[in-house]
Amino acid sequence: MSSLQEELNKPLTTNVDENKKVIEKIFKKDIDVIKRDFSFHEDKNIPAVVFYADGLVNTQAVESTVKALTIYEGHKNSDSNQENPNSSELTIEEIKKNVLMNSSVEIIYNYEKAINGILVGDTVLLIEGYNRGFLLPTRGWDARSVDEPQTEQVVRGPRDGFTENIRTNTALVRRRIRDPLLCVEGMQIGKKSKTDINIVYLEGTVKEGLVEEVKERLQKIKIDAVLESGYIEELIKDSPMSPFTTMQSTERPDKVASGILEGRVAIFVDNTPFVLLAPSYFWEFFQASDDYYSGFLAGSFFRAIRYIAFMISLTLPSIYVMLVSFHQEMIPTELALSIASGREVIPFPVLLEALVMEIAFELMREAGLRMPKPVGQAVSIVGSLVIGQAAVQAGIVSPFMVILVALTGIASFAIPNYSASFSIRLIRFPLLIASGTLGLLGFSAVFTILAVHALSIRSFGEPYLAPATPFQPTDQKDIVFRAPWWKMDKQPKLAEGTEKRESDNLMPKPPEQSPKSTQTSKSKNEDKGSSGK
Amino acid sequence: MKVQITNGMFMAIIINAVYAKAIGLTQGTMAREIGNDIWISTIIATLLSVLLIWSIVVIIKRFPSGDIMDQSKVLLGGWFSKFISLLLFFFFLCSYGVIMITYVYHLMDYFLPEAPAYIFIIIAFIVGCYGAYFGIEVIGRMALIGVFSVLALNILLMLGSLSKFDVYELLPTFQDGITSTIWASRHHVADWAMVAMTVAVILPYVRNPQEWTRSSTAGFLFGGTFIVMWPILEVGVLSSEVTGQYIVSCMQMARSAKIGQFIHRYEMIMIAFFAISILTQIMMCFLCASTVASKIFGLKDYRRMILPVALILSGFGFWIVYDHHRAMELLETAWVYVSLSIAIFITLLLLILGSFMKKKLETKNKENVEHGTGSNNNKKTSSSSGSGNSSNSGNAQTE
Repeated sequence: MSSLQEELNKPLTTNVDENKKVIEKIFKKDIDVIKRDFSFHEDKNIPAVVFYADGLVNTQAVESTVKALTIYEGHKNSDSNQENPNSSELTIEEIKKNVLMNSSVEIIYNYEKAINGILVGDTVLLIEGYNRGFLLPTRGWDARSVDEPQTEQVVRGPRDGFTENIRTNTALVRRRIRDPLLCVEGMQIGKKSKTDINIVYLEGTVKEGLVEEVKERLQKIKIDAVLESGYIEELIKDSPMSPFTTMQSTERPDKVASGILEGRVAIFVDNTPFVLLAPSYFWEFFQASDDYYSGFLAGSFFRAIRYIAFMISLTLPSIYVMLVSFHQEMIPTELALSIASGREVIPFPVLLEALVMEIAFELMREAGLRMPKPVGQAVSIVGSLVIGQAAVQAGIVSPFMVILVALTGIASFAIPNYSASFSIRLIRFPLLIASGTLGLLGFSAVFTILAVHALSIRSFGEPYLAPATPFQPTDQKDIVFRAPWWKMDKQPKLAEGTEKRESDNLMPKPPEQSPKSTQTSKSKNEDKGSSGK
Repeated sequence: MKVQITNGMFMAIIINAVYAKAIGLTQGTMAREIGNDIWISTIIATLLSVLLIWSIVVIIKRFPSGDIMDQSKVLLGGWFSKFISLLLFFFFLCSYGVIMITYVYHLMDYFLPEAPAYIFIIIAFIVGCYGAYFGIEVIGRMALIGVFSVLALNILLMLGSLSKFDVYELLPTFQDGITSTIWASRHHVADWAMVAMTVAVILPYVRNPQEWTRSSTAGFLFGGTFIVMWPILEVGVLSSEVTGQYIVSCMQMARSAKIGQFIHRYEMIMIAFFAISILTQIMMCFLCASTVASKIFGLKDYRRMILPVALILSGFGFWIVYDHHRAMELLETAWVYVSLSIAIFITLLLLILGSFMKKKLETKNKENVEHGTGSNNNKKTSSSSGSGNSSNSGNAQTE
């Protein structure tokens, strides 16, 4: 055991100076850890000290606590004084109850608790004569405010997105699900980072065993630090070698809330706005929040467009390369002639041309993403317009290829989930190479291998391609198309039980008698009544 | 809990295991023999094959905790089981040759004439091994996609060829006599025998034994319906003379299909759908052959046999497709005899033996159920239920 660990395991002593020395020794090289000596009790001037990390605490809260302790006059509040006016000693519980007056204050016994408390933004209070200390909840640091999510924007729908603060994030979900069955369980992962992880689920709706499975996987993680939810995702997801994303990550609280309502488990990680949802089906990556807020016709239409975008993004370059390289006779004559005239001056085989263009597109996308915003935009425009046009004029690439690559790129951005869109971009390349080298044979072989792979993987025990295969008829209402809300009355199969989400006959219907005519007949009746009188 | 597939998946496997060869190669062979009546012969073959599959279901239902080889072991001991396994291995070896003829000649002759035959064999080897490794459950789901492909292919063909269809081409019927028409159906029955032997290996993995007869009959009838459309269109559009002139007559049919003025050639789309179905059939053949081989060597896990079996099958497949004459010899004569003799022999033998030793099978089956043992050694939560939270990492059937 290291000397530091030995030091941490030691209990606090009654001598405040000794306690101070140990903590100062541990933080001897840390200028941001502040020590503040003061006297507790207005009359007795008992030496006391508080330790906190500057920047992690709300200094006003620290100040007010110190002030309360300094001006404290024991006889007014002490229970022991009321019982025995001569007694001047306060028990540790009395200080907590009557002086600090905060139910979240924690009593600590050793240095480890004190040090960990300081590091997470709490304030440690030590008083002479007490071999225990207090951990004051004074966390408060500058945080980004709740803002519109950068990666999942919607036209219609809430504009709030998760932040880097885990408590703000859980609160955003709790605001949406005001059910006492919503459970928020906590744990810490990371030997050095001690990152807060929250598991959020709806008891009774989540399938039996799922929460235990998530917890078990999380507890297995032994790592020095967790800096983002991506760490957790990679360490607990099924099929770690698969290019497919088997856990959904989102910045949107409404998406997380809807996932929880459908029986999923949300994993919140401190210091990141990306929350994980498990399990996840392949089809979920094509669902956007707007689908549920716009009418079902619009929602279904846009979802269908996204499926088309997926197919374009995955297969269009491969099909083009396959047709032009091996199966020209399959292209309608006029189109074949047009392609041939465009390719007349191109010195490269079509596969190489496609690969170069695809890589160039990825390069521009990556550069545009990393560069400062104004420069990034300029690079994207220069890249796409000027370089594309120049490349065509120079006879390096054909105009058809530029159109195809642009179309493929645009299509890949139509997929609402960034990580899913990335995995599609990734699997496009083996498909492209196979089509360019073996034609239809390569295309069908790689496509089948991808299909078999997707069919074989699971997400937390759930088949990844469900509810398409295995086929679940009732869940088809929210896969390819989005059924009207009044039709989606059942919980998905993923959720526990058969609880109904809606009452029957929710489809809006016009009243049997229009309100105006009802009013008119009413007034007529009243008139009759009054005339009768 | 052992791996189980749904009855839907089972039906899909049946359809995929027969479709690819039956729509083209078999029709060409039959057209050369009986001309216009190939569609009648196809219907007769399907109905006759239903008897074969019912017999297989009856056999497996007597001992539902094991496949046909396990049952043989119970009936007459280990050596008898090995003998049956050896026969089945030979059956699957020959059937792989036939599948390769279908697969390679479709793609090579019509799309990649300059590609060497071994490329096709290697691709089939890779895809087949990959699918077989994941087992019956994943192949079952793939088969469902295969059925959608078959449907799409049929619809596309109908759209492109119905306008040219002439019903009078189907007449007169029974031109060569009823006996010849029935006799010609042996070619298609041989295709169905491939399905029957596959069912003999996989049936214990299918859920709800009480549904087995219904789902297998439905699979046969649906498969038969998807197939019979082809000879009707082939005769009605191409005529039986033209159909008989090609090894892969369905490709000629697909080539003649045309939708409007712009889409005048779309056989590549059709063959892309066809590829999904035949690749599923290849996976299934590897899986069955590996299972059979594992029984010969007394292994519990069929996965250990996938590579050696796939190499043997691929080597045989290459030898067959390398020479068109050899391929035709196998397809038109040897295959029919091998397929029918093995399938009928095994079925009759076990049907008779089983009827005499019903008690023994029942007792052993009860023991197996009580001890949770059987032919299937893959202990894994069924995916079909869609539940369970096993922490497997991607491999749907890894123990």
